[in-house]
Amino acid sequence: MSSMVRFTLDGREASAPEGELLVHAAARHGVFIPTLCHDDKLDPYGGCRMCVVGVEGSPRPLPACATRVAEGMVVSTNSNVPAFRKTLTEMLLAEHLDPNPGGRPNELTDLAADLDAEAPFILPDAKRKEYEDRNRLMGYTPDACILCNRCVRYTQEVMQCSALSLEGRGPHARIVPTWERSWLDTECELCGGCLSVCPTGAIFEKFLEGTEQPERELVKTKTTCTFCGVGCQLDLNVDPETNRIVKVTSEPHYVSNEGNLCVKGRFAFNFVHHPDRLTKPMVRREDGELHETSWEDALQVAADGLNRVKAEHGPQAIGFLASARLTMEENFLIQKLARSVVGTNSIHSCEAT
Amino acid sequence: MDNLGRIRREIGPVTPELSDALADHMNIRRGEVHEVVSFYSFLEVPADAVRVCIGPVCDCLGAKDLLAREQENANGVPVLGVECLGHCDIAPVLMRGDVVEPDVTRRTNTGSSLGLEQADQTLAEYEARGGLAVLRNLPAKEKIVEELKASGLTGYGGAGFPTGLKWEAVAKEPAPRYVVVNADEGEPGTIKDRYVMELRPHLMLEGTLIAMDFAEATEGFIYLREEYATARARLEQALEELRAAGVLDGRSLELVIGAGAYICGEETAMLESMEGRRGMPRLKPPFPSQVGYLGRPTLINNVETLAHIPAILRDGGEAWPRVRLWSVTGAVTAPGCYEAPLDVTPRQLIDDYAGGATEEIGAVVPGGAASGILPPAALDVPLTRESLREWNAGPGSAALQVFPASYSPLRLLAETMRFFAEESCQKCTPCRIGNRGMHHLVEELANGEAAMTREQAEEWLDAMAATSICGLGQGAPFPMRNAFTHWPELFEPLGEPAIK
Repeated sequence: MSSMVRFTLDGREASAPEGELLVHAAARHGVFIPTLCHDDKLDPYGGCRMCVVGVEGSPRPLPACATRVAEGMVVSTNSNVPAFRKTLTEMLLAEHLDPNPGGRPNELTDLAADLDAEAPFILPDAKRKEYEDRNRLMGYTPDACILCNRCVRYTQEVMQCSALSLEGRGPHARIVPTWERSWLDTECELCGGCLSVCPTGAIFEKFLEGTEQPERELVKTKTTCTFCGVGCQLDLNVDPETNRIVKVTSEPHYVSNEGNLCVKGRFAFNFVHHPDRLTKPMVRREDGELHETSWEDALQVAADGLNRVKAEHGPQAIGFLASARLTMEENFLIQKLARSVVGTNSIHSCEAT
Repeated sequence: MDNLGRIRREIGPVTPELSDALADHMNIRRGEVHEVVSFYSFLEVPADAVRVCIGPVCDCLGAKDLLAREQENANGVPVLGVECLGHCDIAPVLMRGDVVEPDVTRRTNTGSSLGLEQADQTLAEYEARGGLAVLRNLPAKEKIVEELKASGLTGYGGAGFPTGLKWEAVAKEPAPRYVVVNADEGEPGTIKDRYVMELRPHLMLEGTLIAMDFAEATEGFIYLREEYATARARLEQALEELRAAGVLDGRSLELVIGAGAYICGEETAMLESMEGRRGMPRLKPPFPSQVGYLGRPTLINNVETLAHIPAILRDGGEAWPRVRLWSVTGAVTAPGCYEAPLDVTPRQLIDDYAGGATEEIGAVVPGGAASGILPPAALDVPLTRESLREWNAGPGSAALQVFPASYSPLRLLAETMRFFAEESCQKCTPCRIGNRGMHHLVEELANGEAAMTREQAEEWLDAMAATSICGLGQGAPFPMRNAFTHWPELFEPLGEPAIK
């Protein structure tokens, strides 16, 4: 464990593990420092400057998202820092033409509301070149982007892929899929991680389910992804009016996936509402047709069948086929059932095919 | 960067296909190459394109007409308006491919430190004037630091950090260390490094090799702006001569060629560029003397700074005459580059060195775009850091630009803010948007409109100066604030100044 250091935060004595980012140390002491370009998954960037704080001995305020606590540091978040914050917010608003393209939350407009900040004008060159993509899952509106570069850094640092680029310089700078291609023609796997880190919702889920409810109006239900054994934790976002899942999100503090998802976990949820999906246990009766029944009955029928085959042909006549979509624990139970209860070693999984 | 520059010169403008091919060949991500290619102004432009300088000196001498004429007679060759090409002494100027028009002239004076009055064509000529003597008989490290401190030499790129302190700091860091020469002269109006490299390339290289020996660095780099084709040829020739003479034995000293980005003159942006990334400044601290090229301690000095070092070590720091090279351009009879004392005044530079003003003077810029804009009342102020501080300005890169009274200060301000906006790397909010906002404000004022109140404008300038990552955004407010002070009538539509 790293050693603790003492520092001063707005005139109060405080302590933190040596080297902790100032933004975290302050939060633990109840001082919230707003950030836009910072993301705990990414290396410190210090671009948006929203989190600047006064540090004694430094001629200029320093970004709390990139400055680490040191012994004896004297930090101030009041003095002129709030004025800078408001001005920086005004600046960002001066080219924020489309604050809400896809219904995702917008941290910049939240901050503007908190600080009572308004753009004095819209910059004449604020309009950016638009981007249209034929992919059906993700959309991007450059006019909502604040160039915090979180998405690009996410693709480079977390996903290690080449999907998005920070292009150009000065007023012409914008973020765009590599060489403005369709995401389908880049290395992108459409995992949607870029949109999950976007603070303004400039990258968003295209609404497959025909609803345009803002994300904050949706009801979240936490569950485990059913697609593989990793066990990613995710939130099904349900539109309360239609009671249908309209998007899947995940939070950075969720264990095993830390808010990251793959294309299936994030976008392949529409099977849930498919009419062919079996939602009740079914048993094929004497008449050769499937009939709805209870779990007790269905399990009894299956057990009777397995016992009959075992009695007539021995345990080696039975094999078990597990699935990559089960969790590790479920796969363990299947092999336990096969080996200990039925007495066969014939177990297979679709992962091997 | 090297590979991209070669593609442009040998194959043609970098296209998405070429960019991808290079990425695949080098086994790096295609998107990362795309980011780099699009950052620089020239990689996607043919090598034979016509580049017309629209920097402030060229602008006041008719660059916009020149640009329009060239565009009319283009014959399919791309014609671009570009930021300062570093030839303000022959403004308005353009480059056809690598060739500068009109013909290059170099007006200078006899200088006791740099001796630019006589060009060195070969290494033999340089050695005949006593060249390499200091390098071959280098004093101990402590002595070098002592002499540098005694000389009072500061970085002549613009930031003005004491050279002796910088060298001392690097020497305390663990090896391996690197030496980098900042030859990315891009500050509008500044032509001095080009003069040094074109006239006395061996002198600068001797200064560099002294720095490398001092830092015990076996690898050194010269980051040269792409537009300086003549300087590149002179340096290549001089390096070849030094190599043939065995002076470079055991060392590697290489040229790295930029691709058109003012911000790469900022030392950490330069390091990023050298490492093959977009030239976006790093957060400081740590400083390059601690964490520089490839994460190692790196000594970065400007061309002119290094060129003074042989004289300082030869004659001793105390005896060194405390001079620097002043680029004097604009409305003067003999624009050029003159060695003069640090406390010279604008009037002395104009009258005693540059042959006098050609027109009534309306404004002067003392040292590059961010150094400030001063009224004629400041013509007798010594151009030292201390005395200019009272004028809320600085000597910067010692580029005195003389603007005639017929050239409106508002136009000068608009061009200056447009330049900063164009050249902002985009990384930080205050620089990326603040400069565009200030440009918009000045353009609107020219139409008699107030885009924001004076109080709001001052809040924006405060945020830019305090919260920008690097000197570009931090320095950009100076000319605006100078104009508020010296030409208040231009800003009346904005209302009352903020009460502080």
